[in-house]
Amino acid sequence: MSSHGIAGRKPLNAYLFLLPAFAVLAGVLLIPIVNGLRLSFFDWPLRNISKAPVFVGFRNYVELFRSEFFRASIRATLIFTLSVVSIELVVGTAIALVLEGDIPGLRFFRTLYVLPIMIAPVVVGVVWRFMYHPSYGKINFFLGQMGINPVGWLSDPEVAMKAVIIADVWQWTPFVFLLVLAGLQGVPKDLSEAARVDGANYTQTLLFVKLPHISSVLGLTAVLRLIDSFRSLVVIFNMTFGGPGVTTEVLSLHLYKTAFISQRLGLSSAIAVILLLLIFALSFVLIVRGVRGEKR
Amino acid sequence: MFRKMLAILILVSLAAMGFAGGGQEEAAPTVDASGNGGFDWRAYEGSTVVFNFPNHVHYNAMMDSGVIEEFEELTGITVETDMMQYLNMHDKQVLEMSKPTGDYDLISMVVMWKSEYAMADMIQPLQPFFDNPALAVPDYDFDDLVPGYVEVTGIAGGENIYRDGPGAQLFGLPFGSETSFLIYRKDLFDEYNVKVPETYDELTEAARFFAEEVPGVYGLTMRAASGHHATHGWLLHASPMGARVFDDNWEPAFTSPEAIETIEFMKTMIEYGPPGMEGFTQDEEFAAFLQGDAAIYLDASVFAARAKDPTVSEVHDKLGFALHPTAKTAGSETGGFGLAIPANAASPEAAFLLMQFLTMKETERKVILAGGAPFRMSAVNDAGLQAQYPEFAVLAEQLKYANPDWRPIIPEWGEINGPLLGTAINQALTGQKTPEQAMADIVEPVRQVMIRAGYIK
Repeated sequence: MSSHGIAGRKPLNAYLFLLPAFAVLAGVLLIPIVNGLRLSFFDWPLRNISKAPVFVGFRNYVELFRSEFFRASIRATLIFTLSVVSIELVVGTAIALVLEGDIPGLRFFRTLYVLPIMIAPVVVGVVWRFMYHPSYGKINFFLGQMGINPVGWLSDPEVAMKAVIIADVWQWTPFVFLLVLAGLQGVPKDLSEAARVDGANYTQTLLFVKLPHISSVLGLTAVLRLIDSFRSLVVIFNMTFGGPGVTTEVLSLHLYKTAFISQRLGLSSAIAVILLLLIFALSFVLIVRGVRGEKR
Repeated sequence: MFRKMLAILILVSLAAMGFAGGGQEEAAPTVDASGNGGFDWRAYEGSTVVFNFPNHVHYNAMMDSGVIEEFEELTGITVETDMMQYLNMHDKQVLEMSKPTGDYDLISMVVMWKSEYAMADMIQPLQPFFDNPALAVPDYDFDDLVPGYVEVTGIAGGENIYRDGPGAQLFGLPFGSETSFLIYRKDLFDEYNVKVPETYDELTEAARFFAEEVPGVYGLTMRAASGHHATHGWLLHASPMGARVFDDNWEPAFTSPEAIETIEFMKTMIEYGPPGMEGFTQDEEFAAFLQGDAAIYLDASVFAARAKDPTVSEVHDKLGFALHPTAKTAGSETGGFGLAIPANAASPEAAFLLMQFLTMKETERKVILAGGAPFRMSAVNDAGLQAQYPEFAVLAEQLKYANPDWRPIIPEWGEINGPLLGTAINQALTGQKTPEQAMADIVEPVRQVMIRAGYIK
């Protein structure tokens, strides 16, 4: 009887202990998300913020999917995110593999490579904007020395997205490098040595010993970068402000413009909901795959 | 007894000093010059005015001229300044003015936000202040303010909401207001014997000539970046070319042949302009002229002071000034900045004193001498100033053609200006769409804005 009673109380106690954590989560996460979701069904102009929001049902969502600029923004976000995450993963891992061994002066190089992460995004945006300047920028200057015509880095619709991607890769590859390096240092030395004794060459050791060992680190890094680049705003804000046209207007910037320039808080909440769903879906795929990989 | 007498003596002498304070103010140069000795500038002594304004040539001149310190000395009011990039002020101002009590007592607003603020009751009508003899400086001479500037920076609620007319009220005063005129490289025009353009055809020809014939020099510098800058660039030429944003029934009119022709003109200018001009913001437009890359500038008149400043301008001593060229009509811009008092200001009266002080004749002159722009007819037409500032004579003539209906600054303008019109124009300028296609694609979104706001039934 008593044992039954204890067993019956156990889950209740467990929930009681969970309560504070849940309260914090509800306060900082759930309530804002639910409010945002609710607001996405209303029309609420920022300039008339003192007046009550007007319920409009799904009209905000219908308007978004009809809007050419919104569709272009989704496209820009996907191109930007998928490009930066894949490039950063490949380059960051490559640099980590090169700097993993015991090379003299390694610590210096590691510190050097990590510097870009420490710079404030506003500064990164402004500095890259200067460097890309068509007439006074360093990049076109060096191209000019080589006899190449000036490139409209941020004004040519064919080039602007690439220019923005380069800046992001420059800043965030070190982050991937750091995590992968930590992962690589966790690979037991005897494993790779054993592989080498068995006659495996470098590529084989890499593909069948090292990379499988750090696959969960790679997965986690990919998720972190994916979420971060989906939300990235400041660098693009300062470099192109979405231009030319809307070619670099990622969703977070479109959201900003909708909320503060167009002053439509309801519509911008609808964008936020869609952005959240997109991030959730993509992260879900990666996390589930990561968990499965670990179980194996 | 002795103590009591001493106390009375101190009180009397303090009171006397208080009155004498007025006398001292008369001795201060500003007040002496305006003859406002009877006016009590110290009624709000001890209060603080928080003043939000842009990092802009006119406001930089205000800071350099020392008039803020002079005001503090004259009134005993402390002025806290908050300077921001001009397009970023909007978010901050709207947020501040949406609170029960905002941080700002005085703001500088870009004229395109005027109706939005006024219609949302975010800023205060100024007439009650001017009607209050305790607050209104006696010989302020309101009628001397450039009438076009007053209408575009300060008046809302009349015809089409943003124009003067029945129901209109005064919400702001011009400070950093502008029209547009032509600034050109006199040395180059003289050397190559090029005619200073009076028409758009001549402007196109001059731009072509410099781009093609003179190494290292391009034609016209222009802002064109996606959003607000592209719209501003387009409006500058749309006015003389006869293009409009809306027709008389608030239906989109930017697909008209004139509107398309304006974009075609901009595309030609980009061809003859400095590299990457289709992505230029105002700063880059300025830089191209200051560095001597562009032979012609045609935009806000306030830029004249910066172009003449030897510390920032490579071409400060090589300048000529001329009227905004004409196409179908003559029509230059009306824009820039105006001062307004937020409805939720903590010290509106002190803010009004500062507002008046900044826009008085004597202050204007000091700001002009520090590199600011004139906003009173007396200054523009002043023979002495015209001798010192050759652009003032051009400005005096140009103001006759300043178009008060230059852009439809209805409260919803922000939603149309950058996110729709400016984006479409930039799409056309960067070759993503034909001008016709780009403009046709935003007709429906713009109509939806106008339907939602009740302009189109």
